[in-house]
Amino acid sequence: MTATLLLILTLLWPLLVMLRSPLRMLMEQDALRRPGPRPKLLDIWWASAPLPALALVLWPGETTLVLEGWLLGGVWQLDDARRPWLLFSALLWGLAGIYARGYLMTEQQAAEAGDGDAFRRLAGLALLWPLTLVGNLLLLLAEDIPSFYLGFAVMTFAAYGLVVHADNRDAHLGGRAYLIMALFGEALILGGLLWSAGSADVLTLTALRDGIADAEHGAWMAAILWLGFGVKAGVVGLHVWLPLAHPVAPTPASAVLSGVMIKAGLVGWLSVLPLGDPTAGLEPLGRLVIALGLMSALAAALFGITQRHPKAVLAYSSVSQMGILTALVGIGLIDPALWPALSVAVVLFAAHHGMTKGALFLGVGISEHPPRLPGWLLWPLLVLPAVSLTGALASGLAGKWAFKSVLYEGGHEALVTWLSLAAVGTTLLMARTLWRQWRERGHNAIPLLGTMPLAWLFAIAAATSVPLWLPVVGADSPWPPPDELPSLLWPVGVGLALVGLGFFWLAGITRRRPFVWRLRPGDLWWLYALLARYLGTALKGGAARLEARGMRLRARLVARERAAMVWIDGLPRYERRFRQLAVPLMIGVAVVLLLGFWLG
Amino acid sequence: MSQAWLPLITLATSLLVAPLILLLPERAWRARAVLNLSAALLKLLLVGLMVVGLYQGREFAFGFTVVPGVEFLLRVDALGMMFAGLSSLLWLATTVYAIGYLEDSPNRKRFFAFFSLCVASTTGIALAGNFFTFLLFYELLTLSTYPLVVHRGHSAALAAGTVYLRYTLSGGLVLLLGVVALHALVGDITFGEREMLRDLGPEYHSLLIGLFLVLLLGLGVKAALVPLHGWLPRAMVAPAPVSALLHAVAVVKAGAFGIVRLVYDVYGIQLTFELGLLTLLTALSVFTILYASLRALAQQELKPRLAFSTISQVSYIVLGISLFGPFGTIAGLAHLMHQGLMKVTLFYCAGNYAEELGIHRIDELDGAGRRMPLTSLAFTVGALGMIGLPPVAGFISKWYLGIGAVQAGMSWVIAVLVASSLLNAAYFLPILHRLWFRAGPEHGKGQWPEERHLGRFETSSWLLWPTLATALFSLLAGLLAGLPFSPLDLATLVATEEYLP
Repeated sequence: MTATLLLILTLLWPLLVMLRSPLRMLMEQDALRRPGPRPKLLDIWWASAPLPALALVLWPGETTLVLEGWLLGGVWQLDDARRPWLLFSALLWGLAGIYARGYLMTEQQAAEAGDGDAFRRLAGLALLWPLTLVGNLLLLLAEDIPSFYLGFAVMTFAAYGLVVHADNRDAHLGGRAYLIMALFGEALILGGLLWSAGSADVLTLTALRDGIADAEHGAWMAAILWLGFGVKAGVVGLHVWLPLAHPVAPTPASAVLSGVMIKAGLVGWLSVLPLGDPTAGLEPLGRLVIALGLMSALAAALFGITQRHPKAVLAYSSVSQMGILTALVGIGLIDPALWPALSVAVVLFAAHHGMTKGALFLGVGISEHPPRLPGWLLWPLLVLPAVSLTGALASGLAGKWAFKSVLYEGGHEALVTWLSLAAVGTTLLMARTLWRQWRERGHNAIPLLGTMPLAWLFAIAAATSVPLWLPVVGADSPWPPPDELPSLLWPVGVGLALVGLGFFWLAGITRRRPFVWRLRPGDLWWLYALLARYLGTALKGGAARLEARGMRLRARLVARERAAMVWIDGLPRYERRFRQLAVPLMIGVAVVLLLGFWLG
Repeated sequence: MSQAWLPLITLATSLLVAPLILLLPERAWRARAVLNLSAALLKLLLVGLMVVGLYQGREFAFGFTVVPGVEFLLRVDALGMMFAGLSSLLWLATTVYAIGYLEDSPNRKRFFAFFSLCVASTTGIALAGNFFTFLLFYELLTLSTYPLVVHRGHSAALAAGTVYLRYTLSGGLVLLLGVVALHALVGDITFGEREMLRDLGPEYHSLLIGLFLVLLLGLGVKAALVPLHGWLPRAMVAPAPVSALLHAVAVVKAGAFGIVRLVYDVYGIQLTFELGLLTLLTALSVFTILYASLRALAQQELKPRLAFSTISQVSYIVLGISLFGPFGTIAGLAHLMHQGLMKVTLFYCAGNYAEELGIHRIDELDGAGRRMPLTSLAFTVGALGMIGLPPVAGFISKWYLGIGAVQAGMSWVIAVLVASSLLNAAYFLPILHRLWFRAGPEHGKGQWPEERHLGRFETSSWLLWPTLATALFSLLAGLLAGLPFSPLDLATLVATEEYLP
């Protein structure tokens, strides 16, 4: 009972929090028109939005809520499979929310002082942040397909407001890329869901997985859905929005975008693909998924190290890490027997990446506005999550070991090697991020006990200890045995060696050929934009030609009509002649009639 | 006995209001408003009574013989009730809106008289029990909307009115021919007696196909199927409440409703399917959906864009009924109501922007969300519904359309739905972006074309409340689609009647 109430509150509370500020603004409408002080938008209530979700996760036991009247029949569920996802998502959302209160302090002060522009932007953030959160929570809790899609759509579209928060040219470019790609993703998801749910005539995700496994065109349905969610998960080719949108959002929003929301794509895959079903017959798709996943993992790392902005480098690192997860999902498709063990590793790795990437993004803000900490303490703290992400320490080590041990068991040594190469890439990316952070470090110290440093410190603590607190069912000891350590650590070593080499070598190259560093974030996006422009011009030309032809046709028809009208107008002329003939004609007819009678 | 009179009284509520309004002097706006609103409320109540009666399985019918062999018949069935419920609900909202919209403009007496007449004919179409009665009210609708379209009286309005009359009267004539031919073939065509045509035997099939095409041609004009849609964008010169009613309930819907009647209650879905006519309807509606969406993209003004969107969305109804199977039927019928609610909201919003700020073009909408947050919110709800995003009602339609397509063995229709969603997003999201994310006059950039301050809130309350109410209804119709008496529930009731004899 309490759990059910908590479940409802989880989704309701952020909505209430969201509605608070517009209601207040509505009541004080006249006050807003006047110049002068404005109400505080990001207060402590605002940051409390994900608290009920945390309470729900910590509440023991599973719970299901069935809502007959909701959409096509709502089923919301918290079970052991959803619990870890919900926990780390709510935790990161909460930390990012607290961080945001410090990060946006100057904007908030400007808004309170009466800066209309700052107030407008902040009001947008204050509204859309809880809304995005609701979408994210709903998609995690939903078991019925419409609710799941609703959550996904709400999260996707509300997050647009977070991306464009800065309201400058880069932000709008990022927002544009984000929205266009998201729309294509949504369209594919809708099409895939309609097709598969229609074929199987089901309304819940569990039944949908079975339906796809049994369906005649199951492979195509799975492929469409995989692509649709792949936009969110940043599969290579569809990832172009990520490096454009993640860096331009305010740092706490980047943290949730890259840490949690990107996982929605993965959650989507796990929810709809018949992973671990030996009858599904999706091996060809699985091989494609693995290939594309590895491509993401490696190509993103290579492109990412050319970026200047630390957040852009981190965004590419997200693409790369999601590539690793993609490859693991692919294994679930080609080797279903392995999936039960692998799914545990996927959850652990996803949570580790989510929290660590969150901590890293929050760290970018920290290096720009360093708190009053001595450098020997601050920089190791910034380095710690980065090292963890490479897989050399803490939760990163556990996460890596979790999937490697499973892959060894299943005999996928080749894949392990490729994934190790990706870890080399990650090491390079992390070195690059930290280097750029160091170069762009700020000097205005902020107090240590502000919301921003505290949230960051807590995020680091949580990120490095993920295996200790994440409630994953079926996980045994997360730490690798000591004799496995060399095989896990060599990529980091190679990476560090490459960094050392590259530092000198690249320094020489950049002096001679500075263009290397001008590769713009978004890579393929520019190609797509170019193609779209050509296509648009061609279409416009075609439409203009058609229009011209239509106009000619219309003109001809109008001319015909005019001619017809002229002819009709000319009829009275005949009438006059007819009138003259009327009398003889009548007499003639009478005579004929008389003759007829007489003869008949 | 009293129950037989219920349909007649319902019809009379709006039919008798028209002469009463004409008797009132022009300046008695208060009395006119009271009369209009009480009639609308009464009608809503009566329709509510009939819906409840229908759920309890009661029969309502009223009829008399005009000339031997031709009967005037009003009868209540679930399909008609859906349409009547929609029209009475939106009539109430639009009456409130129109009172606010036409405040201190000339010829209000004439407007409201014909407005009532127009709603009376819509009710008549909904309640008609046979093809003759349907035709009667169908033609009455054409004639009673003409004065509304040309209400402003300027040359553009008159020209649009002429185009409108040409299209609809020719359509009516073709329809008349078709009905007479059917009448000659089988006698009085009562809706729901599908066995009449089914029992004719295969030698009549080519004739039946021909007659179906003729009838479709007649009905397709009002339903604005491409290429018979030319009148609709031009009729946009009418005042906003008229456009709203024209698009959401009256004219366009009457055409779509006629096609629904034709397929389900005259030919019967089984016979239509066997004659291969459903494929034709699918092809026609798919073409209309995509073509009109593309045309909508090219529009620079708000109302024409909405007009093309209507053409596209009304074809969803036709698409739904052309998908053989209960899900397609449910989709088509539910969309009949959903589209009405969402589109009326969008037109109210367009009217609000025009009245309060003088905005007609899309690029003038920058930052309007700040100035008129509630209207913009309503517009957002309507637009998201048109795209088919949950939780707005449009999503429910789209879901059932997709499922229906799969079950009819036409999975390719899903691709069309997805393409249409993308196109809808392409022409609605830029508007939303302008409303909410761009800086405009309210942020000290430029100024509104013609700003007025009509009321205490962002605009006159008469204009604001109907907008918000219909937006709320379109949201609730999707969010709580599983509840009894929701549009989806009603549509399911109709579909079960159709497929389970």
